[in-house]
Amino acid sequence: MAYIDYYNILGVSKDASQEDIKKAFKKLARKYHPDLNPNDPDAHRKFQEINEANEVLSDPEKRKKYDEYGENWKHADEFEAQRQQANSQGGGFHTSFWSSSDGEADAGEFSDFFESLFGSRRGSGRRQAYGYRGQDYTAELHLTLQEAAETHKQVLTVNGKNLRITVPAGVANGQTIKLAGQGGAGMNGGPAGDLYITFVIPDDARFKRKGDDLYETVPIDLYTAVLGGEQIVETLNGKVKLKVQPGTQNQTKVRLKGKGFPVYKQEGVFGDLILTYTVTIPTNLSEQQKNLFRQIQSLS
Amino acid sequence: MNTNYIIVSEYCEKCHIDPEFILLLDESGLVDLEVIGDESYLPVAQLKDVEQYTRMYYDLSINMEGIDAIRHLLKRIESLQEEVLDLKERLRLYE
Repeated sequence: MAYIDYYNILGVSKDASQEDIKKAFKKLARKYHPDLNPNDPDAHRKFQEINEANEVLSDPEKRKKYDEYGENWKHADEFEAQRQQANSQGGGFHTSFWSSSDGEADAGEFSDFFESLFGSRRGSGRRQAYGYRGQDYTAELHLTLQEAAETHKQVLTVNGKNLRITVPAGVANGQTIKLAGQGGAGMNGGPAGDLYITFVIPDDARFKRKGDDLYETVPIDLYTAVLGGEQIVETLNGKVKLKVQPGTQNQTKVRLKGKGFPVYKQEGVFGDLILTYTVTIPTNLSEQQKNLFRQIQSLS
Repeated sequence: MNTNYIIVSEYCEKCHIDPEFILLLDESGLVDLEVIGDESYLPVAQLKDVEQYTRMYYDLSINMEGIDAIRHLLKRIESLQEEVLDLKERLRLYE
């Protein structure tokens, strides 16, 4: 645990007046306040330092104690024991600066240095302590299309904290959900921030998603297109066998109701799957095959 | 669409905020109050904004004009952050 130079943090001299300290704090707070620096952990950390420095230097009692011990803060307990002993013996310590904690609720987010020196995490109560809402966090969650189609649980690590969330089926690419109170801790009794999770669902090789409908291109051979037949098609929930009508044209579209993407937060409701047939023209025909095609050509 | 409202006077009493401040936000176009009879109502959807403006005004001593300017800049930051997210996603496809 290192010594923290609160004067340096606020950029004021050791003999700065209360007015100077207040001014310096306000100026830096306007620069680093989490409200003005969304999604910036560095600014959030800096603001915590500023807030802590202000907590000490704006309170004459805390400031006096901080100044008294300075870099010898680690020996504060020893000094205090000596002081008490000296007092009991009628000795010469006249200042009484080791006040006990004020018994206020522990809700701040101050450094270990602050706590070891002042015991309590909060102000002395003689002035209003600012209660700052914690920073909002944002996180991305990457899902495949198949994962996004099923309600499932997922563990996210945000700022070193593991969160188990339920991802509802049907979430969309770019959709953001809010987890209230899962952001940064508040300061001085302020509420915790929120966590915003944005889902990132890259395009799938097979399916293209538009809203709740899925689009799929299905290649069929020329003979099936001309004569009709059966075609196995892959859907999100497995394979289905379809009848292909004789004379099916290239780019013909077929809509499979309810075989698309699950609708967000509407259990059992699905979009449609729209298939586009692309007719594959045979290549590398043998001479015999070509002759047969010529015969067909002459007949039509 | 249903909109939920909070009575401004009750909100101010509970949060120890001067009701004049909320009216000032309304006059500056930062919130849209509904006035029905003698009572002003704040849409719940704007509550988060009001809390943020309150911190800016009381804790950071930023005046209404400053809050308005910050609001515009924060919107731009938000939109740029979204754009970065989108571009990162597209870039990922080429990596």
